[in-house]
Amino acid sequence: MAFVKLNDLEIEVEDGTNIVEAARQHGIEVPHYCYHPGLTRPANCRMCLIETYGPIPGAPPGTIGPARQLATGCTTTVRTAPPDRKLDDKYDAIVQTDSPRVKKAREDVLEFLLVHHPLDCPVCDQAGECDLQDYSYRHGHDKSRYIEVKNVPPKKDLGPDVLLYSTRCVVCTRCIRFAEEVSGTGELGLVHRGSHDEIDIPRSHEGVPLQVLDNKLAGNVVDICPVGALISKDFLFKSRPWFMEKANSVCSGCSVGCNITVEYKVDGVYRLKPRFHEDINQHWMCDDGRLGYHYVNSDDRLQLPLKRVDDEFTPTHWADALAVITEKLSEVEAEDIVVIGSAQGTNEDNYVLQQFAHDVLKTTQLGLFGQLLGEEHKFPQFTIEADKNPNTAGARTILGSANGNVVLEGDTLWEKVSGAKVVYLVSGLPERPLEDAEKAALESVDFLIVQDILPSEITQLADVVLPGTTFAEKDGTFTNSTGWVQRIRKTIDPPGEARVDWEITQQLAKQLGGEMNYHFAGEIALAISENVAGYGDATHQKIGDAGIKLAE
Amino acid sequence: MVEERRILYEHLDVPDINTFDVFRQYDGYTRFEKAIAEYQPEDIAKMVLDSGLKGRGGAGFSTGEKWSFVPKDIKPCYLCCNADESEPGTFSNRYVLEKNPHLLIEGILICCYAMGIETTYIYIRGEFTLGKKMLDAAIKEAYEQGYLGKDIRGTGLNVDIYSHPGAGAYICGEETGLIESLEGKRGQPRNKPPFPAVEGVFRKPTVVQNVETLCNLPFIIGNGVEWYTQMGPTYADTRFDPPKPDANTGTKLYCISGDVNEPGVYELDLGLTSTELIEVAGGLRGEEVKAVIPGGSSAPILTHYELDTRLDFTSLTLAKSMLGSGGIIVMNETRNIVDCLLNIMKFYAHESCGQCTPCRWGTPWVRDIVQRIADGDGRKDTITRPKFGVAENGRWGDTGETEEIYEDLDLLESVANNIANVDTMTWNTICVFGIAVSWPAVSYMRKFRPEFEATIREGKLVTLPVAEATVPPEENYAYQQRFVPKEFADL
Repeated sequence: MAFVKLNDLEIEVEDGTNIVEAARQHGIEVPHYCYHPGLTRPANCRMCLIETYGPIPGAPPGTIGPARQLATGCTTTVRTAPPDRKLDDKYDAIVQTDSPRVKKAREDVLEFLLVHHPLDCPVCDQAGECDLQDYSYRHGHDKSRYIEVKNVPPKKDLGPDVLLYSTRCVVCTRCIRFAEEVSGTGELGLVHRGSHDEIDIPRSHEGVPLQVLDNKLAGNVVDICPVGALISKDFLFKSRPWFMEKANSVCSGCSVGCNITVEYKVDGVYRLKPRFHEDINQHWMCDDGRLGYHYVNSDDRLQLPLKRVDDEFTPTHWADALAVITEKLSEVEAEDIVVIGSAQGTNEDNYVLQQFAHDVLKTTQLGLFGQLLGEEHKFPQFTIEADKNPNTAGARTILGSANGNVVLEGDTLWEKVSGAKVVYLVSGLPERPLEDAEKAALESVDFLIVQDILPSEITQLADVVLPGTTFAEKDGTFTNSTGWVQRIRKTIDPPGEARVDWEITQQLAKQLGGEMNYHFAGEIALAISENVAGYGDATHQKIGDAGIKLAE
Repeated sequence: MVEERRILYEHLDVPDINTFDVFRQYDGYTRFEKAIAEYQPEDIAKMVLDSGLKGRGGAGFSTGEKWSFVPKDIKPCYLCCNADESEPGTFSNRYVLEKNPHLLIEGILICCYAMGIETTYIYIRGEFTLGKKMLDAAIKEAYEQGYLGKDIRGTGLNVDIYSHPGAGAYICGEETGLIESLEGKRGQPRNKPPFPAVEGVFRKPTVVQNVETLCNLPFIIGNGVEWYTQMGPTYADTRFDPPKPDANTGTKLYCISGDVNEPGVYELDLGLTSTELIEVAGGLRGEEVKAVIPGGSSAPILTHYELDTRLDFTSLTLAKSMLGSGGIIVMNETRNIVDCLLNIMKFYAHESCGQCTPCRWGTPWVRDIVQRIADGDGRKDTITRPKFGVAENGRWGDTGETEEIYEDLDLLESVANNIANVDTMTWNTICVFGIAVSWPAVSYMRKFRPEFEATIREGKLVTLPVAEATVPPEENYAYQQRFVPKEFADL
């Protein structure tokens, strides 16, 4: 640990920490644009200038003073100094982030940053979460001395989801470094020189793109852009950032389990943004996850329970739908029932489901249903996994916990299904095409109960359809492929009469005489921590925002 | 009358000196052979340090000291020869490259031997097509004669030289910009530290030296340190106790251009004055000297009051200017300083690499302001400030004195100083390009302020007589230090 004097504070930071991070850890802001903790540090924005202290050349030994040049905070790291090189006999470094010189330098740099800026905040998506706005307000001038003609580089379409408003760009090169280092695809570069610098994709002389920014991590460049230059087409002109609520959650796109922030308003989810987690996704998330939330807001969402009357679906009310199911379930033997949980469902959903199957239906035939295996994408610093379900590992363990760890999957599951009389299938998967064998198996079932979120091939085959919820509408936990248990949070209300999956299952259990009385997801998590091996610590309280890793 | 002292350029005019055989007749490679036969590598580094040789590229940093920063335990390390001579007003290296490239190769060999370097890159300016051709031919010859390659002349020394042409960017003459360009990246300087001596080409320790610096090495080895230190003045840096010698030894290739009768490259001892230099270059063309740029376009200008300033590294630093690359541009009374500044600022605005904020957007801004002034659209305001005194009516009160405010001149100075502050010598930029911009901008404006003011007042370019155009030294703090040289004294 290095002992550093930062302004008036005496702080201890780990060796090798840069000043921007060290200050951030202690609540001091060192403004910066080009520095990003997940990328290399070119120190080109010159915003994080700080004053370092050291021995003065030519002066008597022991005299300490500010260095002649200001240093960039992002590249200045502190290390434990040998005893004879301590400053003032105890400090490893002395740093000023608020001296008059530093403040002057920040003001000057900010003035330069704004000379060609169009100041179009009223129509800029970034307004409200823009570093240029924030730092100008805190560190800048209130007016510009620039009366010359401004550069107006063109607006550019970089790829399927990314627009570049070149006029707003501060050429911090974060996006270029991202494409170079994290995605490794290198679509972006600087063209022209000096004040005509522009970010661009490779183009022919006629301006025809030779390569577009269409890698699966492209959306991250929008997040890391400190100003409103890179804009997501998906979010363009949708909402002002300050009108949106935010909730910490986990992406449901694949088994990586990227930490995200769901930004939403009363009428739906507006965007997903990655949230830092050192061991899982660092600062990033993929575009499949980022743009994959639209089904949540879909107008087609199942809003009422449906039952099949004369081969036609008729909307009904919950009491009626549950009564039909209860009647059917009480008619058949336990071995003719197959209960299938969802890899898209939370641990809580699946726990209630297995409890229902085990305690109420007394069946041992528990299956697991999830998205088909997708493609794995590996990037230098990021991996998108082939398993497109967020909770395969958790669902498998929890469904199996009731049943000697036997969970039916794949062909064995469909074999069992084709011989069953009643199947209770919790799906909750957006866009899941059915394979022929699966379809045949489901068609052969006498009475198929499907709990789902959207009309699909599966609901077409059902006798009763129960409207469930998506990841954005419920609390719970997901377990990712590396054993991290993390929380998702309810953001918006489910559409229409749709209900949280475990509530539906619990209601069904109650109607069949089961003893289950959970009130909220945290209560179920407590039950899981008591009853499921390995999940001892997995209570909502302990998981928090950081998640916990299960023992291997 | 000062005589030229030709050392580097001694045999420049010998026909076919660019061929190995002729070069050999004129002591070619004997200095290198002497170095290998008589000295250990450490001795050579010591000799270079003792000789007081300062880098001729611009910064004037002690070559021996630079070598001492190179870590001895990290191998490989590289030598990078900076032949990207692109400072306006400088043209000395190209003659070495075009006429006597073997001298450079010999210098490189001595440096490689002293530093244990096996690979050298010569980064040569892209426009020097003839220089590149001659250099490549010389390298080829040296390989054939066994002075390059593996096991040179049976000494076990291996040296390879690669010449690499630049693509025409001024900033690639900056050492880290050069290294980036050499590595095949966009020519943008690196943030320092680490300096190239610790982490340079391919992230290995690298010695970056100018062509002229390397060409000095054979003569230091051949004739000895004592001979070398006789040339040029040595000052004493009295900040240290005992005073540290501050050597300005050797000769310098002064590129004299502008309003002189015989412009060209002159090899002279360090420490001569501008007046003497103009005399050497055939005398002034015109009536009187208006200004002298002492070290390439980025150096602060000298007025006719400062013609007795000695043109060496130390004296010019004390005069708040610099010797830089030794590109001396003389201007006579017909030259308009606003126009000169505009010319220089156009160059820098065009050549800014655009990497860091202050330079990327500050440099064109400075150019635009100067352009506006030169176009006659400079902003001026007359304001009345309350000033208490005896007013016209004979009573104590507000005298209502008016003052002329030249808004654009203040803006010019402020913007230039925000890129790099010329008074404190600090820059907000990554590299020294920042100061190369603000130095001329601020010094021209301060020293020739009447001409700028007249241009704004008249709404068109006005060339004032020399005496009127120049601010006398006593009135301008840009000069002050020159007349009170506290820190240095003649030894």
